[in-house]
Amino acid sequence: MTIFKDTTDHQAKADLIEIAAHKYKEGTLTRRGFLSAMAALGALPMLGSKAMAQAKEIVVVNWGGEASEVLQEVMADTYTKETGIPVVVDGSGPSGGKIRAMVESGAVVWDLCDSGMGTAIILQEQGVIQPINYDIVDRSAVLEQAAYEYAVGNYVYSYVLCSNPKLLGGNAPQTWEDVWNVKDFPGMRTFRKSVRGMLESATMAQGVPMNEVYDVLRTEDGINAGIDKFRQLRENIIVWGSGSASQNLFLQEEVAIGNIWSTRGQLLMEQMDEGAFQMSFDGGVIAPGMWVVPKDNPAGSDEVMKFIRHAQDPQLQVEWLKKIGSGPANPAAAELVPEELKKWNPSSPENLALQIFYDDEWYGMHQVEAEEKYIDALIN
Amino acid sequence: MFRMSDALRYWFLVLPALAIMIVFYIWPLLGIWQISLTEPKPGVANYTEMFDSTAVQTSFILTFRIAILTTIGCLILGYIVAYVISNFARRAKPLMVALVLLPFWVSVLIRSFSWIVLLGRSGIVNDTLMATGITDSPMRLMHNEFGVVIAMIHVMLPFAVLPMMANMRGISGAYVDAARGLGAGEWTAFRQVYFPQTMPGVMSGALLVFVLSLGFYITPALLGGGRVLMISEYITYQIQEFLNWGLGSALSVALLVATAVVIAIAARFVNLRSALLERN
Repeated sequence: MTIFKDTTDHQAKADLIEIAAHKYKEGTLTRRGFLSAMAALGALPMLGSKAMAQAKEIVVVNWGGEASEVLQEVMADTYTKETGIPVVVDGSGPSGGKIRAMVESGAVVWDLCDSGMGTAIILQEQGVIQPINYDIVDRSAVLEQAAYEYAVGNYVYSYVLCSNPKLLGGNAPQTWEDVWNVKDFPGMRTFRKSVRGMLESATMAQGVPMNEVYDVLRTEDGINAGIDKFRQLRENIIVWGSGSASQNLFLQEEVAIGNIWSTRGQLLMEQMDEGAFQMSFDGGVIAPGMWVVPKDNPAGSDEVMKFIRHAQDPQLQVEWLKKIGSGPANPAAAELVPEELKKWNPSSPENLALQIFYDDEWYGMHQVEAEEKYIDALIN
Repeated sequence: MFRMSDALRYWFLVLPALAIMIVFYIWPLLGIWQISLTEPKPGVANYTEMFDSTAVQTSFILTFRIAILTTIGCLILGYIVAYVISNFARRAKPLMVALVLLPFWVSVLIRSFSWIVLLGRSGIVNDTLMATGITDSPMRLMHNEFGVVIAMIHVMLPFAVLPMMANMRGISGAYVDAARGLGAGEWTAFRQVYFPQTMPGVMSGALLVFVLSLGFYITPALLGGGRVLMISEYITYQIQEFLNWGLGSALSVALLVATAVVIAIAARFVNLRSALLERN
């Protein structure tokens, strides 16, 4: 039996924090930022006992830094204003291990956690999270691929094809096949130092239709064929390890083409000269962040479900997009996105139709094996 | 009155350092050895996996190749610098020594980033080459082994210069004078009389640079473009990306053993005691 591995992309989450930091350049270390940092450094139990002492308070946990401030401002404070119930955002990083340890020790201080599907599946099997109550949470207010029994989507981001037409003589690649065509599109490419969102593009580059990508990748041959594509291209590959690295590679004109996060693409769009950057959702891979609720959370099930419902508000999710670049999980938000941002919203109906949904189940079963082969192809 | 024996006194002096070594180095290190044999299940599975993986082999070969190239580069450049400082610099000597030491005060991270500014596609070197018409398109100076080796030589250079300088300082000028007086040419006197005396310095510099290079992480990670995956980066990758502590630990044990083997082999050819401990 294959053991399901935790596939949550913590780097992607941490990257949102960095982006927020960029957007809030003037922001020095605030009190809340300091508290989050303390919590991340292990001072959490102290804060936790305080949080527990106050009844009727909701503690929402995400991955820290400025992203916590945005969450506080956009989702939490608005909820407090509406209901009078205080909501505290804690940025100490709710990894699966921490959630499990907390529930099993019986000292649960977190009500709601920003997690990923991979973690959610494991936590569900371990019986440490609650089912989402869809009587309160609106199932229709979240992309259907992100509405699970034990987890529900809270935002999305995509892996997309970006290029610098200026370096390519005005000739920008349109498909993943073009990306692998070094003759017509010379120059360096950048891919992530992980198969996430990458192997999918290599599979599409073989001419596999979008909706069959994961079927193909479920076979040994499919994985090997995708890996081989990277082996062929490797002399033209520079690897990005972090979101900011991918952004830098484009800014410094080290690469002409890349498969990077749409959130970073959106920043590059603002930073690079007119005509020097293109981003296309065509053939992209869209991935959701997920809410999970620890068992026996202190605020009670209903209270936290009501908060999730509140965070589904399309208007608030648009604010979220503006501030941090991650797309709304609520399809209804698409219409409310300002015109100039619409094109870059990963979850707009037009862009959704061009992309496939990140398949966490596939990652749980095959990621480790594929990663090994991927490194091997790049360096060996 | 109670008087400590010399042996006891010796141990009291060594004790603090020894305690720190045991608590913060040897103890955790044993933990790593243990993890490599117990996670995810007891046995030598991590080691067999390691030896079977071609990626690991490639990474080891790459690591040794880069360490060797770095060592050679550092020895050649470092020897010249040490030689000039020891034998020709008079009033400029303190300044030159300071210049050798200066990089120590700047973080490796910053120095590596500086190389990115210099070697990038639109970096200073490429811009200059193109502006002067030497090349018409940017050359790939980094995100490959070349860039990594250049930056590593820069970072490691003081480690080669300092032992060689210490060694050369102890060499009396009388030997070369005598050789010249007996009719040897300048080159012969250097090659047959001066150079052999500097070998202990060269060897200790070489060992220092080589061993440090084997475990180097920041510079290759920044300038390698992800494809110059030295073993320490590979270990980080296993542990951070896959939470694969077992294999990561096994790899670090292998790196440690490989380093020990290198030192053991070196010991057969050079007198380590004189190379590392004595200042001549």
